[in-house]
Amino acid sequence: MSVSGQSGQSDEASNCPPWAHWLLDHLQLGLLVLDAQCQVVFVNDWLLVHAGLTRDAVLSRHLLEVFPQLKNTSFERALKQAVASGYPTLLSQTLNPAPFPLFLSTRQRGQDKVLRQSIRIVPAGFKASGLMDQRYIFIQINDVTQSVIRERLLKAQSGRLKGLSEIDVLTGLGNRRRLDAVLPQAIRTAHKSAQPLSLIMFDIDYFKQFNDIYGHLAGDEGLRQVAQALNEVFRRPQDLVARFGGEEMVAVLPETDGQAALALAQQALQRVREKCIDHRGSKIATVLTLSAGVALCDPASALTTIDLLKAADQALYLAKSLGRNQVCS
Amino acid sequence: MSLNALELDALTEIFNVGVGQAANALSQLAGANVRLTVPRVVMLSKQGLSNELTENGSDDRICAVRQAFSGVLNTEAVLMFPVQQSLQLVQMMVGDDVPLEQLGEMEQEALAEIGNILLNSVVSGVADVLKLQFEGSLPYVELGPVQDVLFAQGDPTDLVLSLQIDFAIDTLQIRGFMVFLLDVESVESLKATVRQFLVSLT
Repeated sequence: MSVSGQSGQSDEASNCPPWAHWLLDHLQLGLLVLDAQCQVVFVNDWLLVHAGLTRDAVLSRHLLEVFPQLKNTSFERALKQAVASGYPTLLSQTLNPAPFPLFLSTRQRGQDKVLRQSIRIVPAGFKASGLMDQRYIFIQINDVTQSVIRERLLKAQSGRLKGLSEIDVLTGLGNRRRLDAVLPQAIRTAHKSAQPLSLIMFDIDYFKQFNDIYGHLAGDEGLRQVAQALNEVFRRPQDLVARFGGEEMVAVLPETDGQAALALAQQALQRVREKCIDHRGSKIATVLTLSAGVALCDPASALTTIDLLKAADQALYLAKSLGRNQVCS
Repeated sequence: MSLNALELDALTEIFNVGVGQAANALSQLAGANVRLTVPRVVMLSKQGLSNELTENGSDDRICAVRQAFSGVLNTEAVLMFPVQQSLQLVQMMVGDDVPLEQLGEMEQEALAEIGNILLNSVVSGVADVLKLQFEGSLPYVELGPVQDVLFAQGDPTDLVLSLQIDFAIDTLQIRGFMVFLLDVESVESLKATVRQFLVSLT
């Protein structure tokens, strides 16, 4: 590169086409050219405007004097390495958000936000520096603030959509997809932390008859009431209540042993009975009731997701065969 | 035409010097101790490498950082990780607790930076010891099946110089491969240079 921002170097400037400075100053990115001692020999307008500096404050000075905040950073390390090796190098916004103190130009500077930067340091290789009197280095600084904002928005949005896609529309509980995502993770955590994990499976007693007598809209309301009761009992942030099938619901309870899970299941049954939802079709009560099966994932045993669901299902079957409206384990 | 065991041993030692420098740079960047080792350097065909990369895993998608180096010998240097491991690597380097789900634009650029540090350190280590000069290029990131990344140019029987690189940060371990794609002339010229170096030691 034979461009120089300094006057009085006509020998170099003569090699330079008449439009070169105009071009470099109108690029929408920052450009610096350093000599082999890291003194600035060229700086373009974009960089001066965004750094709030004059050309005189930058030219013929060591880069780290102009921008002392670069000292002892990854940028300084990368620059030294580039000077020594002659290989181009890249500094990403993710790992070095804003090495240079660059801000929006004063006209737009509402909030004084520092620009996020993606930086390339390109030293002249051995061939090019052989053609020059020394190894010049150019530094290209791209403003990636807008990309960072866009990625952040997209990530937030995808997080929200993911949350929505794992909710059961009728009850507001987690759906099967949520259960499938959470349960394997919970089992892994239980093994890793040597903590017990309990799983309770609930089923509404005589729900088919309930639907037949009161209609499906009342059935939907019944499901919502049960979901609300379960949410009132399982309230810790690490607990998950999910709708497993039609009228079956599952509670995943980390750091909960079998005894505690049994007691909580009893509470849930009690809470649903207290709602006093009339159920003429039930053969065991006058109100809507639940049956529940409790399974424990002991950290010592190597239970899988399927083992645990199966065990809870078997306990639930036992509760039903013993007359419903009760908890078994 | 390949390198013999003695020549590969010499290269392993030379590579480890560069890898050591890269570990220092990455530690500074991560704000945590990054340890890197190169347990093994081998020469094999692209096909052989592809088989090795895909043998234990259903997902054959990899993330690759590529750079070209030219001089007495020409090579394309490629740093490769299984996609899942590359996500973990970025997460560790950023020091973020939130698990990443996919490699977005920003994560890919971070990988380009990590790859650039490693490739530049290793090549400049080789250049220093073997007294070679190279022109380097900026890195770019590629995602895709191993075959697409490796077989884009040349022939599956072409030889590559492959370094297994093990990363350790805190308790996490990640395995990547650094591969130098070499044409026949470059293999010969590398062999001649390493031989010369070995002679100079005696």
